[in-house]
Parts: sequence; structure tokens; C-alpha cells
Amino acid sequence: MEEASKVSRYLYTLIILFLIWLALTASLDEQELIFGFVLSAIVAAITYPIFTTRGLANLHPKRVAYAIAYAPYFLWAMIMANLDVAYRVLHPKRPIRPGIVHCKTILKTNPGKLSLANSITLTPGTITLDVDGDNYFIHWIWVPDEVLHAETEEEHVEKASENITRPFEKFLKVIFG
Amino acid sequence: MVSILKRSLAIISILIIGYWLAQGLAGVPFGQDKMLVGHYYLQHVKEQTGAVNAVTAIVVNYRGFDTLGEVTVLFIASTGVGALLWRKKRERTAKTEGSVVLTTGVELLFPFIVMFGAYIFIHGHLTPGGGFPGGATIATAFLLLYMAFTIYEVPHKAFEKTEGIAGMSYVLVGLIGLAIGGYFLFDWIWQTWQWGTNNLGRLFSGGFIPVIYTIIGIKVGTELSGIVDNMLKEEVRE
Repeated sequence: MEEASKVSRYLYTLIILFLIWLALTASLDEQELIFGFVLSAIVAAITYPIFTTRGLANLHPKRVAYAIAYAPYFLWAMIMANLDVAYRVLHPKRPIRPGIVHCKTILKTNPGKLSLANSITLTPGTITLDVDGDNYFIHWIWVPDEVLHAETEEEHVEKASENITRPFEKFLKVIFG
Repeated sequence: MVSILKRSLAIISILIIGYWLAQGLAGVPFGQDKMLVGHYYLQHVKEQTGAVNAVTAIVVNYRGFDTLGEVTVLFIASTGVGALLWRKKRERTAKTEGSVVLTTGVELLFPFIVMFGAYIFIHGHLTPGGGFPGGATIATAFLLLYMAFTIYEVPHKAFEKTEGIAGMSYVLVGLIGLAIGGYFLFDWIWQTWQWGTNNLGRLFSGGFIPVIYTIIGIKVGTELSGIVDNMLKEEVRE
């Protein structure tokens, strides 16, 4: 992933910080706006080399649209996940079959990998233990049969990825590339 | 055997001290109006200092010397850590780089934390907070960078200069007050210039409180980052 130009990265950081300022102050008072802009410019100048590598390309309309669509999708998955875990806790037989599985991701960028790891941790009984390159090691509360009885390593990775990473990747692929 | 004796003695003496303190405090009525100076502050804080937040007005304006003292204490603490841990050659010796989740998370959070710290200290005269919490928040951002990356170091030269300049600016603001109003830390922006008197409660008000809190925020932020930097480095032998 090559880096965007400095100007583009700076402007992107500036825009994001100014949006954060608007959310923090929750006021459209002109004094707040002027000062917020100046402050965003200063903070962006200090932090932009750390913050972003792709700059304004992050604000591509398609990416923003997918990011907005991802929010309710992810929230729904999270609610279902918590209900599922509550069911497992309350069920008298306590139906858990924990295990660590190995998944692979198609995501290339670091922010994408971060969001995938966090999405996995916050949804159905799965916790990301480690991310190494494109390998994800995930603790699963109920390892299903097809993964448990996989013949080969490839089949195991394939089946696990299908269950865990694929549902998020179709969004995250577009958002983060 | 001895340790049991020691412990019970310690417990008994703490209980005695606790009882003694409780007896002393029993004479102070709880929940009753005991404010003597407090009423003066609450009634005059707006027209005298322009701050809506009475605490910051007291800390920076009415009792500004205390804050200057606190800043000095922090500066001495930072210098002391630097002096105690002084070695010719010191480096980060951490070996394990954080996972991609940690490093990327820190990269994405860093500007937000710095921005939020700045938000806290700039709104000192309007909302709870001020220079010290704001500066500590900014230092947290640098601490995160230190914890996630094995090679990260704060820009020392720039940080130390900023710290010194911020400290001097605080005294300078006080000295300008001395020249204009007759005493140290006189709030010249509010009392003499009357700047911002017509928009109480908005951002550009509060006399010199936002100015001083910005200075303190920058000073505390750079200072605590420097302490973290000093404590994280270890001596390297050739």
C-alpha cells in the first residue's frame, strides 16, 4: 500500500479532527468553529504522519457509504451475539465447545485488519487472540462440526473463515481495501 | 510470630488514629452552610473573572499563586526524574512489538486523544477540567505510542523547549499583569482590556484563564511525556 501525498494525509486528518471537534462541542457557535478549526489544524500538523497512510482516498463516497451501511449490520450481529451467549450461559446444559481456530483474511491494510479483529471480538462467541500477517487465531465458544472434523489444514481454515471472517470482509474489503 | 505481633500492633494503632480523626470530624456539621469566603466567590466570579466555572476562576485567578506553585512542583518532579535516571547512553530496550491490533489501534486513537486533551484545557473556564487534566490526557497519547511501538521516542529537543517556553509564558502573563494592574497574575485581559465581557459563557471569554490553561496544558503534556520517556529507557552497555 503506497502512501498518499503529505497534503492529502494532512487534509484528511484535519477534516476528521474537525468533525470530532464538532461532535465534542455540539455547538455551532462561530467562536467554537473558528477556534476548533485552528486547533484541528495544529493537532493535525503534529499527528498526521501517525494517523493515516492513505489520506483523502479514505473519503471516497463508496467507502463512506459502505461504512455507514456497516454500522447497523454490525450492531445487529452484536446484539444477536450477546443473546446467543446469554442463551449459552442460562441453558442448564451449558452448551459450549471451546477451541482455537485458524482463519485467513483477504484484507491488506492495517486499519482493515484492526476493524476485522475488533468486529470478530464483539460478535458471536468469538475472540481474536492474535493477528499475524493475514492469519487470525480465534477462540470460538462453539466450534461447529465441519470445522472440528476438518480433514486438512486448508479445509479447516476455509470452513472457519467462511463462518467468522467472510461476513465482515465483504464490507471491510470496500471500506479499507 | 513476630509478623503477627507487628500486624496486630499496626492494626490497633491505625484504629486508634481513625477513631481520633472521626472524633475530630464529628464536630463538623455535614450538609450545612459553612461557607464564609465561598459566598463571595460564587457571587462575584462572573463579573470579576468572566469564568462560568468557579473552580477554575479560583484556581487560576483568585489563587493563581497556588497554581504557579503546582506547575513548579511538576517541573521539579520532571527534572528530578531526569536527574535521578541520568545515564550517558540510554535506549529503549523493549523487544516485543505489539500486534497489528495494538499498533494500528494506537495510530488511529492518537490524534483523537490529543484533540480531546486540547478540548479539555481550552474549555477550562466553561466546563470541568482545565490545564492539568488536559495535559495529562495528552501525555496519555504519548504513553500509548511508547507502549505500542518498540522504537518510538518523543522529540526531545522540541518537547524540552516547548516545556520551558510554556513555563516562561505563564510567568510572563503574570508579569504583564504586574506592569498593568499593579500585582502579579493580575487578570489584565479581563480587567483592563475588558475583552470578552459581552459574551460571557462563550469560548472567547474568561479573561486570561483560557490563555493560562493552554500554557499549563502544553506544559503538563510535554512534562509528563518526558517523565514517561525517562522511566521507560534503560541503560545500555557497550
